Amino acid sequence: MDIAALQTKLKKGKRISPEEGLRLLREAPLLDLADMATDARFRHNPAMRVTFVVDTNPNYTNVCENDCAFCAFYRHAGEKGAYVAPLNEMIRNFRTAAENGATTILLQGGVNPALSFDYYLRLVKRTVAEVPEIHPHFFSAPEIMGMSRLTDMSVSDVLRDLWDAGLRTLPGGGAEVLSDRVKRRISPRKGTTADWLSVMREAHRMGYMSTATMMYGHLENGEDIIAHLESIRQLQDEYHGFTAFVPWSFKPDNTPLGKTLSHRATPNRYLQIIALARIYLDNFPHIQASWFSEGKKIGQIALHFGADDFGGTLLEENVHAAANFLNKTNVKECIEIIHAAGFDAAERTTLYEIRKAFPREK
Amino acid sequence: MNRINFKDKKLLPVWDKIQKGKRLSLADGLVLFHSSDLISIGKMAGFVHQRLSGDAVYFALNQKIEPSNICALACRFCNFSARKGEPQAYEMNIEEILGRIKPDVREVHITGSLNPHRKWEYYLGMVGRIKQRFPQTDIKAFTAIEIDFFHKQFKLPVKEILKQLKAAGVDALPGGGAEVFSERVRKKLFPKKIGASAWLQIHAAAHRLGIPTNATMLYGHIETYEERLRHLIMLRDAQDKTGGFLAFVPLAFQPGTTGIKPSNQFGSAIDDLKTIAVSRLMLDNFPHIKAYWVMLTEDVAAAALNFGADDLDGTVGGERIAHDAGAITPPALAKDRLIKIIKDAGKIPVERDALYHPLDIYADNVIGKIPYLNSVLFYNYFEKERFKLLPIVPRRMGILSLKGKIAAGLFSLMDYLAQEDTLELMDYCIAARNQVKSVMLFSSKKWPDLAGKDIGITDDTATSVHLLRVLLEKKYGIKANLVRMQGTARNDGDFAAVLLIGDEAMRCKKYGLAGFEQVFDLATEWYHWQRLPFVFAVWAERKALSPNDKKDIHEKIRQTLAKEKRAPSPLSTLHGQRIGLTPRETKTYLDGFTFRLGKPEMKAIEIFRKIVADL
Repeated sequence: MDIAALQTKLKKGKRISPEEGLRLLREAPLLDLADMATDARFRHNPAMRVTFVVDTNPNYTNVCENDCAFCAFYRHAGEKGAYVAPLNEMIRNFRTAAENGATTILLQGGVNPALSFDYYLRLVKRTVAEVPEIHPHFFSAPEIMGMSRLTDMSVSDVLRDLWDAGLRTLPGGGAEVLSDRVKRRISPRKGTTADWLSVMREAHRMGYMSTATMMYGHLENGEDIIAHLESIRQLQDEYHGFTAFVPWSFKPDNTPLGKTLSHRATPNRYLQIIALARIYLDNFPHIQASWFSEGKKIGQIALHFGADDFGGTLLEENVHAAANFLNKTNVKECIEIIHAAGFDAAERTTLYEIRKAFPREK
Repeated sequence: MNRINFKDKKLLPVWDKIQKGKRLSLADGLVLFHSSDLISIGKMAGFVHQRLSGDAVYFALNQKIEPSNICALACRFCNFSARKGEPQAYEMNIEEILGRIKPDVREVHITGSLNPHRKWEYYLGMVGRIKQRFPQTDIKAFTAIEIDFFHKQFKLPVKEILKQLKAAGVDALPGGGAEVFSERVRKKLFPKKIGASAWLQIHAAAHRLGIPTNATMLYGHIETYEERLRHLIMLRDAQDKTGGFLAFVPLAFQPGTTGIKPSNQFGSAIDDLKTIAVSRLMLDNFPHIKAYWVMLTEDVAAAALNFGADDLDGTVGGERIAHDAGAITPPALAKDRLIKIIKDAGKIPVERDALYHPLDIYADNVIGKIPYLNSVLFYNYFEKERFKLLPIVPRRMGILSLKGKIAAGLFSLMDYLAQEDTLELMDYCIAARNQVKSVMLFSSKKWPDLAGKDIGITDDTATSVHLLRVLLEKKYGIKANLVRMQGTARNDGDFAAVLLIGDEAMRCKKYGLAGFEQVFDLATEWYHWQRLPFVFAVWAERKALSPNDKKDIHEKIRQTLAKEKRAPSPLSTLHGQRIGLTPRETKTYLDGFTFRLGKPEMKAIEIFRKIVADL
């Protein structure tokens, strides 16, 4: 089937196969892809509106046993710069964020075997009780796996206890590329593709919502990217627990993996993946432009390539910063960027409900 | 590219004009700027990019030299200038400049401040010494602002300044200093700089001397869309008169600490992409649109390659002006990074010199597309296929083919004959039965009187030049000096005759060329002598190409020729229109060719081969 025929198929709202997805990734001219993605975007979200969330992205520990080759953030226990934040400090941090207008805390950390499960539960409970303005968006799948190992509890029991503590959504990190060929080489200790998917499946079954991410731009090829999209599309058909897909490119500075690569991913690759994701993930309500990882300008352009969400304002972030990749924005600028792209802006909650609209001046 | 799925229906009349090759008005430009349908705007600009540059995106191994920051002006938008004695002030002597140039650089770009402490000899010396030490590099030097400054400082006419710079080795002028052609903006932001008319006059003077130039526009400060569009239209009008502009370079304003509050504090990337696209669409007579990554950021420049830009500038080691104003881009990009950016945009990376001659290609399956009216039809069906198209003049194609970089295309006959061991013929050619109309000798004298005289020849093809020699020496028994012409100068009185080919020959034939009353069609001269057609070009492809690819190419050409037989394709008609021909004239012109390689054509090739060998 040629590109024009695929275009017709998509216009009818039909699902495309992995082979067709690969064909689009390899052969479709970028703006044809953008065109199809824009159609899909307006099918999912007909409003000329782009959302964002006021959030912050702190970390409770950088101590990690997974030793992923793409990470410049982690330290080993006892190593210089290693830290575990006391609960009181985290709550204070959340309090400050709330006072600055944050509604979401996207909290992740290293997989630290020295932390008790109780730490995680109390962190959730205290957040819900003491900073009620904040929605806790805590713990990616690898951290859940770590808790399961630590406690000898099943993933399901870990998720049940966290739910009872008050957790309702999970960030979609740690997926990297859902291809065991790639995972073996970049994050052999972080679990397999099936592990990540089973944590998410269990969570969605229980009623959690989450995002799904993808970190590309290292050892993956086109087949791996399609396999990733196909895996999360299949899982989404089961419980519809994913709110959004969030791809970002690998930041090579200060990482072992970075030393082995000749190139960073280019911006057009990002636009291509955003557009392809919008086309392929026909059961995902939102695609998020990661202005933070790709830069504000490419983030803004991505809004015309199928993304309908501009992510978070990220009052604090340490993981990309550890790879020398710094980007800052605030609510005002976020709105200005969205308006300049030709869309109305709106602040949303973690679950994509509109909190406050910021329409363009007519 | 597949069809455009317009979200904004106001764009439809504009698209209709673009497809018909009609010129866009200021009102059309405003529709584009005010539309939110970014992707459709990009696709329209991509359509024009494809028509003019095929799949090519150009880059250069280049280097910027800024000899000094000591400046007699103090423009509000500039963070670069300094006064002598200030701590950040610097001046380079010629040795320092030579020491900074890396040997692999093919384009040195010199601009700087208006330094009142230097003599004229310093500038001529700088250019001359660079050219002497690095003969392989082109020199793109001195904006119109600097030329005007030289003219006032050294009390020489502008034409004389330019003549001397050209003689010293300047190959092209950069396009800086245009800012925005608006008196309102000029009075507010740069009252001491020359205005639009002086800038345009200097560029026209350069073009008339055969020095091509670029043109810029500084946008994103206090100017309006209408002022941007008026700027573009003034450039378009100027280009109609002289044809000497190579590239247009929109420059995104960097606020830095200049104290100017731009209309859009954040510097919207959408505005950048639209400006690139609108430039490509408005400037229908500019060969190239440049995404200057130093100002746009690498990210936006990369995206711009699908919004009408066909040039990424280059490696640019050593730039300070934009960086002193807070540009966040790295000061240089590696060649392999540029190549990857271009490939990821779905284009073919083509390394160029300052005059956009292709020096190398970094892609496979590239088909050389001869940019003349008589060749257009061959390429009709390649546009959407897996082969990539690179517009290229025959001689350059011959050179790149020697490096193995061309998969197939129409080869100048001489190039094919020189590369018969790696190329094979495929039954197609461009042959003229008794007149060609586009390989013309414009002469001030009759043939016999050209003996011993200088004849200006084009750089573009070897076959026509050899045909001219064959006619002079074997048909008329005389010798003349064939001198390669530089740039676009044609009537300086330097030559007794000039040989022009392709579209340029057709234009000059139609409108006349001052000083050359006699016009000889070389195919007619050959025909009256040999009673045979003349074969100017043959379709050839690499022997090493896969049988599948060969079959595919063969099929594409067969289709296009079958259709063209009935009526010229819209692309041919459009091309003819661009060079001033009516559809009927285009048809008559194309009817004069044979595109199949038959017996008389093969015989003509053999005879020509023997005569050339005997020269």
